[in-house]
Amino acid sequence: MPDLYELARGPLFRLSFLIMALGLLRLFLLSLFGIVQMVRRARDKNNSYGKILLTTASWMLPVHRLHRHIPLISFSSFLFHAGVIVVPLFLLDHIYLWQASIGIAWPGISRSVADVLTLLTLITGTLLLGFRIFSRSIRQNSGFVDYFLLIVLLLIFATGYIASRPYNPIPYQTVMLIHLLSAEVFLVLTPFTKIAHCILFPLIRLTSELAWKFPPDAGRNVTIQVHGEVKSI
Amino acid sequence: MGSAVAAPSVNQETKKKKYPYYIEKPLEEGRVQKFLEIFAAFLRHSNYKPLLEIYSRASTKCSRCANTCQIYQATGDPKDIPCYRSNILLDIYRRHFTIGGWLRGRILGDPGLQEETIDEMLDTFYHCTGCRRCSLECPMGIDHGLMMRLTRNILSEMDIIPKALLVSVREQLEGKTANTSAIPAPAMMDTCEFLEEELEELTGHPIKFPIDQENVEYVFFPAVSDYLLEPDTLMGNAAVLYAAGDQDNWTIGSQYFDGINYGLFYNDAILGRIVEKEIAETRRLKGKKILIGECGHASRSAKAFAPTFNDGEEIPVISIQEYTLNAIEQGKIELDPDAIGETVTYHDPCNIARSGWLVEQPRKILKSFVKNFVEMEPHGKANYCCGGGGGTVSVDEVYDYRMKVSGKIKADQIRATGAEIVVAPCANCKKQLKELVEFYKIPATVVGLHDLILRALRLPPIDKSSEENNEQKSQEEQILEGSGTHA
Ligand code: SF4
Ligand code: SF4
Repeated sequence: MPDLYELARGPLFRLSFLIMALGLLRLFLLSLFGIVQMVRRARDKNNSYGKILLTTASWMLPVHRLHRHIPLISFSSFLFHAGVIVVPLFLLDHIYLWQASIGIAWPGISRSVADVLTLLTLITGTLLLGFRIFSRSIRQNSGFVDYFLLIVLLLIFATGYIASRPYNPIPYQTVMLIHLLSAEVFLVLTPFTKIAHCILFPLIRLTSELAWKFPPDAGRNVTIQVHGEVKSI
Repeated sequence: MGSAVAAPSVNQETKKKKYPYYIEKPLEEGRVQKFLEIFAAFLRHSNYKPLLEIYSRASTKCSRCANTCQIYQATGDPKDIPCYRSNILLDIYRRHFTIGGWLRGRILGDPGLQEETIDEMLDTFYHCTGCRRCSLECPMGIDHGLMMRLTRNILSEMDIIPKALLVSVREQLEGKTANTSAIPAPAMMDTCEFLEEELEELTGHPIKFPIDQENVEYVFFPAVSDYLLEPDTLMGNAAVLYAAGDQDNWTIGSQYFDGINYGLFYNDAILGRIVEKEIAETRRLKGKKILIGECGHASRSAKAFAPTFNDGEEIPVISIQEYTLNAIEQGKIELDPDAIGETVTYHDPCNIARSGWLVEQPRKILKSFVKNFVEMEPHGKANYCCGGGGGTVSVDEVYDYRMKVSGKIKADQIRATGAEIVVAPCANCKKQLKELVEFYKIPATVVGLHDLILRALRLPPIDKSSEENNEQKSQEEQILEGSGTHA
């Protein structure tokens, strides 16, 4: 058990972090390259980048774009994301781990702030899971992965919270092992699933807008390639 | 090899299947292969590849888009969730054009695209009206309009395209009359002459529809169906241009006079060819600007795509609504505030409102002379589609669908306003809305914006001794004198 724990804490963590980091970096660079290519191929290069990025940013605030039917989803989602981003990066225990793995450290948040954020993440995450199960339109649009990722995330936060209590009924190392392993699964899946939106978010809307600026000959070239000529209609 | 074995069964199966709309040459076999081949060509030549790459990872499946789509709201069917629909195409992309998909085929034995999926696509991508309301609500910025266009584009290259659209476009691009309604130029000119007479009777003024005038400011392209179905709109357009002093500054080209561009709904190549025709006609007449009549998609296709399909000097595109508002604000035309007593509401055509381009202008125009103006809720950028968008309004076979499903929310909206007049500055919307109010027995009349303006337009009384006539006379005299001296 201690061996497994050390393995999960050391090499496995480093490996999964590496997979996530390189995977996300690759996605980001490929998407950027795609954007450059789109602009290069389009004849109309008149794009309002500032406006597009502002709209993108406006979606990060919960109040600006409330969910039309269930405003609670917007607030839950905002708090959930805040917790999911802040706690892994700024909890002091995590910073020690980062330091041990990648050699750098940064200022962290106090235990009590982390506790509040963790609880909020657990509550809002559970709410979001509830919406996924009970709201018809979201349920109809959900697959296994959508439930799986959310449940894994909740598991990470729940075990993290339990592990940091002074007294708890489950042995510390068992809780920590689940905590670490589930976090590692999540890290590895990040670049290959919808969680990639954590890095692609600023580029998606931009890509959509640019996609309306067609290369002038694209349609014609497709027709020629497929039919051997611009065929009559 | 594989397809040769599979052919007979596929053949029998597809023969049984009925397309939900008429198509001219239904492909009997090899549809899957054809689809993938065309898809690959798009990935190579167009800008869709980076888009598909990012979209195939971007959706968080939050379903916000579902609750904004009038189709899903009417049916509650998961297949009508915008994200679900786009995912059909994205899945084909993942499976057939990515390494992960290749592995999925190899290891998990995923057979990939099937005939049934093509049937599903040709149906569901014509359920979507391309209104892009869903794009307003996606936190990620996914635009299902683009996915809908690309899928329809691929299908159209394999000849799966509603005949109604195909036939119109064929006549427009390759037929003798060069327009979607197949109106010969002489007939168009006759109509104009007739409308001039009507206008003279109505106003007493010699309002003209100038044909083939060169070096003018505006070359005018309405939805060509207006010449057949919406004479009041056209008369309103001409009357405003006349009243604002631009009678001699605009023209209709006899060689190409159609603003309609169904390419916007299904095919990039066709979209481009039609925009190029507008540009060419404007160049032929040495006009300075393209002036689009009352039509949502005609306006958007010209405005948004002229810069893409114009390889020469820039030609600005403006909408008749922008022109008219400008004329009102500059005090060039005067509208009678007592002319319209009815309650009026305004329907925003998606193609001009969704981007925020023409939202305020028509409202400013209407509020300047209509006393009882009421808004639909929601309106403006977040309006609901009339239900006939994306060319579906021209497809008669889907009439039932347009009435009972895609147009249902719009009908409710109109009823809720209690308005007697619904203004819709769009040939497509008007057709759909007229059918809707009739179907749902809503006591409202659907008209164009300039139909209403024509009713309220105040022109100075024509007096035999008025300055204008004097001017005209003296001009005529001068010409006569001039010719006299030359002789
Ligand atoms: S474009 Fe309009 S009709 Fe199509 S999915 Fe989006 S909201 Fe629905
Ligand atoms: S709103 Fe966007 S992210 Fe949410 S389900 Fe629809 S397409 Fe996916």
